[in-house]
Parts: sequence; C-alpha cells; structure tokens
Amino acid sequence: MSASDTNGSAKSLASNGGIGIANLPNQLHKIVTKKGTDFTLMVVGESGTGKTTFINTLLTTELIEPLDDASRRKKQLDKTVDINIHKAELEEKMFNVKLNVVDTPGFGDYVDNNDCWLPVVDFIENQYEQYLRQEQQPVRKGVVDMRVHACLYFIRPNGHTLKPLDVRAMKAIGARVNLIPIIAKADTLSPAALRQFKKRVMDVIDAQSIRIYQPPVESDDEHSTRRNKDIISAVPFAIIGSDREVKTEDGRHVKGRLYPWGVAEVENDEHCDFKKLRSLLIRTHMLDLISTTEEVHYDKYRTTQMKSRKFGEPKLKKPDNKKFRDEEEALRARFTEKVKLEENRFRQWEQRLIAERDRLNKDLEQEHNLVKQLESEIEAIANSGSPNGKFFRK
Amino acid sequence: MSSRAITPRPSSYRYKSEKRGMTYNIMLVGQSGLGRRTFLNTLCEREVIPPTEAPNPDTANVADPMKFDTYEINLEEEGTRINLKVIDAAGFGDGLDNTSCFKQLQDYIEAQFDEVLVEESRIKRNRRYRDHRLHVLIYFIAPTGHSLRELDIELIRRLGEYVNIIPVIGRADSLTVDELAAFKQNVMRDIDYYKLPVYNFCWDESDSDALKENREIMDFIPFSVVTCDEVIDNEYGSVRVRRYPWGTIEIDDESQCDFVLLRYILLNSHIADLINYTEDVLYENYRTKKLEVGGFAEGEDEDEDEDAAEESHAASAKKQE
Repeated sequence: MSASDTNGSAKSLASNGGIGIANLPNQLHKIVTKKGTDFTLMVVGESGTGKTTFINTLLTTELIEPLDDASRRKKQLDKTVDINIHKAELEEKMFNVKLNVVDTPGFGDYVDNNDCWLPVVDFIENQYEQYLRQEQQPVRKGVVDMRVHACLYFIRPNGHTLKPLDVRAMKAIGARVNLIPIIAKADTLSPAALRQFKKRVMDVIDAQSIRIYQPPVESDDEHSTRRNKDIISAVPFAIIGSDREVKTEDGRHVKGRLYPWGVAEVENDEHCDFKKLRSLLIRTHMLDLISTTEEVHYDKYRTTQMKSRKFGEPKLKKPDNKKFRDEEEALRARFTEKVKLEENRFRQWEQRLIAERDRLNKDLEQEHNLVKQLESEIEAIANSGSPNGKFFRK
Repeated sequence: MSSRAITPRPSSYRYKSEKRGMTYNIMLVGQSGLGRRTFLNTLCEREVIPPTEAPNPDTANVADPMKFDTYEINLEEEGTRINLKVIDAAGFGDGLDNTSCFKQLQDYIEAQFDEVLVEESRIKRNRRYRDHRLHVLIYFIAPTGHSLRELDIELIRRLGEYVNIIPVIGRADSLTVDELAAFKQNVMRDIDYYKLPVYNFCWDESDSDALKENREIMDFIPFSVVTCDEVIDNEYGSVRVRRYPWGTIEIDDESQCDFVLLRYILLNSHIADLINYTEDVLYENYRTKKLEVGGFAEGEDEDEDEDAAEESHAASAKKQE
C-alpha cells in the first residue's frame, strides 16, 4: 500500500472497502491443504508401558505391530537402545499428513541404563543437522523433514515419584524437543493415588528444571482458552490405551480394557486423559507443536552450531553408540585379517614366480653353454684340417 | 486345599523355640512401586509398614542406595505361632545402574548362612539362638505384559541357589484377564528357556498326594498380586478392596487375583517345605561349598572327619579289588 516514510516506520492505513487481504487465510488454507504436512512423533519409555498400543489407539489403526516372542527374547539381553521409524500417510477430508512415528525399544530395559537416552538425543539432533545441511544446499527442493515435533515420555506409574532415569532422560530430551510427559497404564492407580502421583511428578519437574511443552493458553475465543486451560491442568497425561472394542455393563460398545471388575474406557474423561492428549497432539495443537519445533528448538540448535562452525562444514563426529563401536572394531579386525591373508598369498605367488624364473634362467644358461660347446667343436673341426673340415670352413 | 500338618523338628536346640513360635524369614525384593510394602500389610492384615512419606523432589535425580528394612511380626495361623521376620530390600533396581544390587543381596543371604555355620560349630551352643536364614524370597515382577526383563532374569539366576525364590506379579490389576494369562505363559517360557532356578514346589517326590497338589500350584506361577487399599462393608461383611471409577476389585476373591492362594502357601501349607528345603538343601550345599574351599576358621565338624575317613577307606578298598 505505502512505502515507509522518511522515519523508517510504516504508516498504517485502514482499508475502507477492503482490498481482499482478509482473504489471505483462505488462500493459505488452500495452499496448506494441497501441500499437506510432515509430522514426526517420538515415543520413549520402558518396554511394557503401552507405547505401541497408544500409537495404534491414537491413529485407530495398527501402525506398529507388536513384537513376537522370538524378537523380544533377542532384545531382552541386547543391552542397546534402537531407533525404529514407522511411516504412514494419513488422509482425512482431503488433508494429508505424512506421519512418522519413532520408537525406541530397549530404553530403560536393562540392569545398567546409564546413558540410555543418548541414542534418543543423538537422533533428535541428527534430524536437525540433516535439515540444516539440506537448507544449505544449492537445490532445496524436496527437503526431507524428519525433525521431531513432539516426544512423548512414558512414565511407569509406580505411585511414588519420578525415577532418576526419568529425571535425567527427560532433562536431556526436554532441552531439545517438545517433551510431553505421560503416565502410562494409568488404570493401575486409583483416582486419589493418580492425583497425588501427578502432583509429585510435576513437583520433580519443577525442582529439577525439566523443560516440558507448554501449549499456548490465551486464544481469541473463550471456548478455546478454557479448553487449553483444561489440557494444561491435566499434565502429565494419564493414559489408558486399547485398540479393542469391548462391551460395558450398561451395554455400550467402547474402546477400553475389560477387567473382571469393570471396563476402563479410553475415551472417558473420568477414567483417563486420552481425549485431552489426542486433542493436543492432533486436533488443536499440532500446528503449534510444529512451529515451536521450528522456531524454538531447531533455531536454538542452528544458532549454537553456526556459532561454532563455518557454513557448509560437516559436524564433528562424537563417539558413537557402543554397539556400533564394537561392530566397527570387529569389522576392522576382519578387514586387517583379510588384507594380511591376501598379502601372504601375493608374496607366495611372487616367490613362485621368482623360483620359476630362476629355473628357466638356469635352463637357458645350460642351453647356452651347450650351444657354445657345439660352436667350439665346430670351430675345432673347421680348424683341424681334416677333409670334413672343408664343410665348416667358410 | 487340604491343610497340612506342620512336621515337628528333630533338631534339639530348636524344639524349645517352637513353643515360642516358628522362626520364619521372608525377603521382599522388587522395584519400587510394585506393591511390596502394601503386600506385607495385606498379608499380615494390619499396617506393618506405614506409607512412605512424600519424596524430596530436589533429590529425585539420584537414587537411594539399596537398604534392608526389617520388620518383626508375630502371627498365628491355624493354631501355629509364627515369628515372622520380613526384610524389605528397598531401592532394588531403582537406580540408573543396578549391577551392584545382586552382590549386595547375595552377601546378605550368605552372611545369614555364615552365622549359622559358626553357631553350629560352637562347642557350647546358644539355646536362644535365632535363625536368620532366609526361607523364601518373594520377587515382584513388573506387569509389563510382555516377558521377563534383564533385571528379573539376573536376579533369579544369581540368587536361586541361595534362597527359595517365588516370583509374583506386582500390581497385577493393570492386566486384563487375557493379558494376565499370556503374561504368565511368557514368564514361564522365559523361566524354562533361561533355566531360571525358581523354587520348585515339587522337590519332594516322596509324597505323591502332595506332588499332585504341588503340580497344580506350579501352574499359577507367577502369582498375581493385588494389594488392598481399603476395607468396605457390604452385604457380606467387611471386604478388602481396591476401588476404581470403573469397578471394585475384591482382594480375597480368588477369581480376581492369586493373593489368597499365595498367602495360604506362604503361611500355612508350604511353610514347612520352604523351611526344610532351605535347611536341608540350600544351606547344606552352601556349607559343603564353603568347607571345601576351607575359608572358615571356627572348629571343624567331627562328622566331616568321620566321612573323610570312611571315604578314604572305601577308596582303598576299591583299589584292592
């Protein structure tokens, strides 16, 4: 409308009849609808806390298949934390989302769980790094964005407080990504015990300066503000997961868990906070999760990296996961062995060739001597003056 | 289930203490939050251990080291007095690195054996001596619903030769009926696969009636345990329950959890078996091992010399054949 005036500040002009700027959100809506979006969700927690069931319940589809016995037994004494990525494309009313769910089997499952959050943290930072590098490329089309937008941390409901493992892991993770703490298998705590546990968990989170995701509260309409306040007051979210439908005593068919003493319903706000969490993740705050990741966490990473590195320089490689280090050592040992073997082979071959050459040389010399001898005999006969000699005299 | 008579002990120095009550030592091991302490309260039908006070949030990032809290309770079960001593291994498995927990437990159990070893070899024995050997260790497995974890496997593996281990599922009310059955199966499969030395109820093969009963009992392993929050009054009297918005669990209802069965086994039907096995097998094995190595000064046993003499005699007899 108008360029800035001499002071440098832009004049604000109210438009009378409207030139159509108000239509911008609609345009944006069309663009976003066509483009879709990437959403990456990470689940972290000990095995048996219901992570897989939760994801399948949230997406109302079996995205992650539960492990079978053989694979589980292999993992029991494995002592490592893996990173598994499950991808899905969701489409609802013409809007599509490329969803990535990152699972971390092995986290907190062993006798010694020191540093078990390092693979998780490394993964998060690697995604930032990948994105950073892609942004720096000359051709920026088709950028693959796997930056984690939300990390759900599943707390085992022991009814007392957070374990040291939870504290250390959540601190490390929460500093780098939107961390949402969840009380897993909440149907094992009575309502009073649950309230007390939630309070204790929040006390620890405050005392230990663990950073968790704070959704924005204030919003334009009162309904949303109230709903946001509701959601925030429920943190950490107590979750029950079930991908099965069961029948309650009063005949309703609900998603829930059937016990001999009753049905714990997933979508009942008096039983658990599943609906609130689903709202947070998908219906109401997905965009905020994505934008805080971009504007806060990724930006922090970018700033710290750029301060210490020049443009285009690769990242310093830190020592890797212990399992990989061992594998690397093993591979290196095998490689040197193979090289040694081959060298031996070549040496033997060389020696055989030399031996062969010498033998041939010797034969050649023998022949040569023979020839010389014959020549001298000829000479002798030629010079001897016998009648046969004239054949040899030139 | 038939109630079994408790066999009196032949050993002289313990006969008098019988009148005061049977000595019975139980240890509870498991990560915090699996219901060990409430289990004890429910078992003794009164609050033996008060609820823990609120933990300090400022120190939540460091784990408390494992410690042994001891509680002594006098019970009377079907006419028999029991001097129950319960040791709660608080802090087991709660830290970041739990490798030292196993050695601590093993040292504790061995220390009790050593005490008896010393006591038995005294010239003048103490009539009032109290036996602190562990007769049973109840291990609480977390209700993951999948299978055993490394912590569970290592514990049973390392301690099974020193004490009778009975695995139970703590907080079993977080599993539905199907999940519980599947979990029990998985645990049993793991126990077989790793050859874990849990207490074998069928160790005494002489009594065939008992053997049949014991085989049935072993089908329940690991026992599912739910602990009592409150006692309410309904039309049947006062009932021990645990209440949820979606229903109420009755602790004493055998179709809902194995608590009643476990209590009966621990305090009635199998108390003699557990004590016998500890004394006749576990302790004897330990004693043999310890004396063979020779790491122990207090007076040699006369019997041992006799046995040694007999053996060498038999060996020389064989040589002459």
